[in-house]
Amino acid sequence: MTVTGPEITVMVVDDHPLWRDGVARELGERGLRVVATAPDAPAAVRIATTVRPAVVLMDLNLGASSGVSAIEGILAAVPGTRILVLSASGEQRDVLAAVKAGANGYLVKSAGVTELVDAVRRTAAGAAVYTPGLAGLVLGEYRRLAGVSAGAGAAGPTPRLTERETEVLRFVAKGLTSRQIADRLVLSPRTVETHVQNTLRKLQLHNRVELARYAIERGLAADDPDR
Amino acid sequence: MLALIELPSFRSPGGALAVLATMAVWSGVCAAGYLRPAVAARLPAARPLACCDLVVTLATVLVTPLIDTPQRVTGGSLLPTVWVAGAPLALALGFGAGVGVAGALAMQGSVVLVRGYLGQTELTDLLLMVAAAGAVGYAGTVLRRSASEMRRAIELRAAVAERERLARTIHDGVLQVLAQVRRRGREAGGAAAELGELAGEQEVALRGLIGGGSPGILAAGRADLATTLSGLATTRVTVSVPGQPVVLPAHLVAEVSAAVRAALANVVEHVGPAEPAWVLLEDLGGRVVVSVRDDGPGIPEGRLAEAAEAGRLGVTGSIRGRVESLGGTALCDSEPGRGTEWTFEIPVVAR
Repeated sequence: MTVTGPEITVMVVDDHPLWRDGVARELGERGLRVVATAPDAPAAVRIATTVRPAVVLMDLNLGASSGVSAIEGILAAVPGTRILVLSASGEQRDVLAAVKAGANGYLVKSAGVTELVDAVRRTAAGAAVYTPGLAGLVLGEYRRLAGVSAGAGAAGPTPRLTERETEVLRFVAKGLTSRQIADRLVLSPRTVETHVQNTLRKLQLHNRVELARYAIERGLAADDPDR
Repeated sequence: MLALIELPSFRSPGGALAVLATMAVWSGVCAAGYLRPAVAARLPAARPLACCDLVVTLATVLVTPLIDTPQRVTGGSLLPTVWVAGAPLALALGFGAGVGVAGALAMQGSVVLVRGYLGQTELTDLLLMVAAAGAVGYAGTVLRRSASEMRRAIELRAAVAERERLARTIHDGVLQVLAQVRRRGREAGGAAAELGELAGEQEVALRGLIGGGSPGILAAGRADLATTLSGLATTRVTVSVPGQPVVLPAHLVAEVSAAVRAALANVVEHVGPAEPAWVLLEDLGGRVVVSVRDDGPGIPEGRLAEAAEAGRLGVTGSIRGRVESLGGTALCDSEPGRGTEWTFEIPVVAR
């Protein structure tokens, strides 16, 4: 764990100075330690590699560079880093790509400060921060993957949600809080959180396996003298 | 060429020379006219010239009896020979296969008229000319159609690019400020909170406008339910959809969207205008499921049935009616203290 002591170190990545500085100040006022800020993907990767923050708060819209490439770069350099995407709604494809690349959660930019600070703390503690929008996207992605494997025989195992996980994720997508979900399913809130976390973990694992397979296929093809 | 060598054997060598000269000059005019960039860009631009071409060519055929010997006119080859095929082909390019074939018939008709009989050779020539005009006309039509489709695609791409440029500008500037005003206003409370709320509404509306999915290239009569429902999001309504478009018949999308709007209006009326609501769209392949949920006090058991018995169908009835008209089911699940949740399940044919 990179979290040492009670203080959570945070890096804020946003190409808009108004946001970057505003959010950094707000987090600082509420007991989080903002150790760095960065305006674009290359700077984010470079700074995160040396500063090693516990949580990276990241906007996906970084001008010319993409937030997803920043996430990939940061996780390759400092694998333990937790990444919370703070982005505008309506950038769905980017959010899904970010989560598959290893982001631990997503929060809309219009969320209040209290909500934001809470989300950063939960992210640092290893929880998955979900919005209803993200739950809808993830549900859709699992179904898309299931459809792909049902159609043209997929090369590997497709990640699947258990019935319980699907149930929990649908509740999240419909705006229920962990407590409300726990009440309805007669589970502990902690169990609900675990189910939610698993839905992200499986998707990320699948993504890594796919990337590795792709790399191997490409590598073998490149070594093939007949090509 | 051959005619030029045999010029002295014509009944009227001067006339023959004049016709040959006309043919040469007209060939030049046509070459220049048909190769104009305007014609290359748009085949119908060749129409006036093609009509003139037909008239000139017909004239060269029809004057033949006046300048050539009767033997050659009836038995040998006519002075313009294969040159006559040009005009019908030009017509076919400019107007399409139908006019091209008509031109070919007129042209070969004039040859038959001059010769005075319809023999095996004339018939063969006629068939060849009709076939050629038909084929060229068809090719021209295909070319025209693909050119107009290409133009449409280019226009669409330009529109999408412009939209994306605007969206980026708005996103990086106006939206950031509006979002910031909303957040800070909410914290400041009082009148500032009200201003913040207004800024928030504009932010969501503007975001819906620029992020409401690119127009995309959808077949006629189809629409994307995910984009349509996303447009219903406000500061209090959260809409969750899959990352992939959910393309369905346009009337189905319109009806489902109307049912969702009615359910949301119900939330405003019975729960409160400031209370949150959530919409979830799920695409299950053979069916789509749309849920509309609120965290309100809920509807006591039996209330809906009571209202229906009393003949007051109201909003509930209209929501049910819409969904059931699509062959789907509309379930209203509510318990006091647990809010109300509508679930629409609509079957969709294989896409």
